[in-house]
Amino acid sequence: MNRKAYASILAVVLLALSFLTGCGSSSKAAPPVVLIAATSGTPQSATVGTTFAAPLVATVTTGGSPTSGVAVTFTAPSTGASGTFAGGVNTATTNASGVATSATFTANGTAGGPYTVTATVAGVSTPANFSLTNTAGAVASSNYAFYLSGLEAVNEVSGIPNFYALAGSVTIDANGNILGGEQDYNDGFGFTSPQPSGDTITGGTLTLDATTGQGTLTLITDNADLGVSGTETLGVQFVNTNHALIVQFDGTATSSGSMDLQTLPSTLSGGYAFTLSGVDSGYLPVVAGGVFSISGTALQNGLLDVDDSGTVTLGTAFTGTISAPDSFGRGTITGTGIAITIKYYIVGPEAIRIIDVDPSVSGVDSDSFVGSAFGQGAGSFSNASLGSSVFGVESNSFGLPFYAAAGMFTTIPASGTFQGVADNDEESLVFNDSPISGVYSIASNGYGSLTMGNLGDIVTLGIYMTDPSLNLNDPNNTTSGLGGALVADLDTSLNGTGVLIPQTDTSAANFKDNYAFGAQDYNLLNLSNPGWEFDFVGQGSVTGGVLTGTGLVSDPFFAFGAIPPSGTDSGVTFSGTAVADTNNVGRYTIPLAITAGAGSPIDFQVVIYQASGGQLFWLDEDDFSLFLGSLQQQGSLTGLPAARRSAAKTKPKQKQ
Amino acid sequence: MMKRLFAGLYALALISLISLQLPVQAQTAERSVGPFGYDASKEVTLNGTVLSVLAKPSPGMVMGSHLLLTTPSGPVDASLGRFGLMGKGALSVAPGQQVEVTGVMKTVKDKQIFLARTVKAGGEVYTIRNEHGFPVSPQARERANGKTAQKGESL
Repeated sequence: MNRKAYASILAVVLLALSFLTGCGSSSKAAPPVVLIAATSGTPQSATVGTTFAAPLVATVTTGGSPTSGVAVTFTAPSTGASGTFAGGVNTATTNASGVATSATFTANGTAGGPYTVTATVAGVSTPANFSLTNTAGAVASSNYAFYLSGLEAVNEVSGIPNFYALAGSVTIDANGNILGGEQDYNDGFGFTSPQPSGDTITGGTLTLDATTGQGTLTLITDNADLGVSGTETLGVQFVNTNHALIVQFDGTATSSGSMDLQTLPSTLSGGYAFTLSGVDSGYLPVVAGGVFSISGTALQNGLLDVDDSGTVTLGTAFTGTISAPDSFGRGTITGTGIAITIKYYIVGPEAIRIIDVDPSVSGVDSDSFVGSAFGQGAGSFSNASLGSSVFGVESNSFGLPFYAAAGMFTTIPASGTFQGVADNDEESLVFNDSPISGVYSIASNGYGSLTMGNLGDIVTLGIYMTDPSLNLNDPNNTTSGLGGALVADLDTSLNGTGVLIPQTDTSAANFKDNYAFGAQDYNLLNLSNPGWEFDFVGQGSVTGGVLTGTGLVSDPFFAFGAIPPSGTDSGVTFSGTAVADTNNVGRYTIPLAITAGAGSPIDFQVVIYQASGGQLFWLDEDDFSLFLGSLQQQGSLTGLPAARRSAAKTKPKQKQ
Repeated sequence: MMKRLFAGLYALALISLISLQLPVQAQTAERSVGPFGYDASKEVTLNGTVLSVLAKPSPGMVMGSHLLLTTPSGPVDASLGRFGLMGKGALSVAPGQQVEVTGVMKTVKDKQIFLARTVKAGGEVYTIRNEHGFPVSPQARERANGKTAQKGESL
């Protein structure tokens, strides 16, 4: 204890003694009253994250006379709008005038108030109160576009969950406050956003661990059907400040997707490649892919491939009309024949997310699908546009039969041939380390196809080339992992979508450092529950092939058991050692242990394909489970919105 | 002159062939030949007695539910997919019951498995898969019962 503290105690003891002495001298004499009062610094306001102009000043008197040497403790609310004292010092000692002056007080990131900061003295029951308000003020903000697809755990039909798709855009300020946004949701079975407005996002919070970039994003919407009474919670894992992997994380649904910094161009124009995945109006799995170009409001030169639950239609010409986007980058595409109305959300000039928003109305059924369109740049393409590549392709959440595949190949453009190796898991039938080969062709507009053998039911892939200077996983990344194509699996017995990216670095030495990762899993882990999907995002490091990470698992169908019984698990550990396949450089195997909640680890047999040290695909190929996802090397997280906040302790609600 | 004309026509025809070849190649959809490849031309109908109804697969079986049948030609493992026994309109059948199953026999993991497209039991015909072998969900069964798709959409 220091000298000041002893002085404070002595002063209080003396105060008490003088009080007792007074009592003893005469039973009728009034005791000297000790009071503490706020004498300046109240009321006042400060912008969130900034310092209040005046210190908090309290005066202590005894019997009306100033009392020196008394320790005064200042206490701010522990939650909500509040603040912190400089250096964490929240005590001050009264001077000869009985005045105690607080350390500088800074508003926290939450706007609100007035709230009360108290000043107290030991032995005095009534505190002095300071009335303070944190104002929102002008805080820098950014827009992010997001999209997801997966499986609902609500609105089930005969106990069977529905597919759903979600896309939107939100404004997030530097403190993680959601200032607004728009979104479109469609499960093709009654839960759809009203049109033409879509849902309005009225608030919410992005809460992150600044070190890992992992956390949650709550979106308060005006659509009570969605999430928990209209509030959706997403699990987020930032790869860098512009790009995050996301999952729905509130127990009402599970899905995987991406959230990316939005930059609105003056106009969209030029060639685009696209893929879509979802369910058709008969609620059977459907995928589509193709190319089109935009000139003004005209969507033209479209070529469309469709695999509608095995009925494959290739190369259908289409046109359409595209409206200008609003301030959230949301616009409308009509007249294509693909759907009545498609909404799009801009990520940037060469990346848009697209979602079918046709509602189911009485007597008329609707479909539901979501996907992306990426620019093709100046592109005039040919077989030479497709070189050594890594690919990943997966059925959607209603894509029976479920499957996921990943592989790598080299090409000989002159002959339009390729060969390589791939892995494929078709509903427990695993094609492991399969040599693949075949033919491919790419037309000048980037529309092409690839036909292969020896990979189960995967035979025909539609290939839609994108701008060689575009990173398909991280569209704001202009420096690494560039180029590739969108892929639609156009087979008669299964369908799916994916991407194909150039393989530029197969060195195991460069598979290292910190990674953000995620995947969408279909499984048989809990056969007593009709649902079959879990999704996860996480973050960890790779050293010498050893992966250790921590993440969030969205598990509303309890594949990992029901502890906690929320369908969302935080602090899930991921661990395993990647072993390089010496026969196929760039391919690894890794037994991945995932431990969720208090349960035992579940071991997944996973294979990894490396496009570069920055981007890798991973594929689970078990007979009880399959997943496809990515590992993306983390960049700087400095400047993330909400980065000053600590990781969330999520309290997700139970499935309704 | 004629020789030049023929040469020109020949070149034109060659260019036409080449230019046509790419789109034709791009528009060819190969039939899947893997485990779930379903060739409707190879469909057969089996009559048998239900030995057991498996809501969950036994080890080594493909995902989804199964009917184990006794037929005149021997035991048959009929795959019903994930939704065959689930939800409204699902197949309702019990051991000992006579059934008529239409589908395609496949060899998967060195075992014979019968991919059932329809099952006729108790006078009812239950659709398990579509004509391409895609399993039919309860949602799809509900949709198939008389509703229509919206005009203006192809998916």
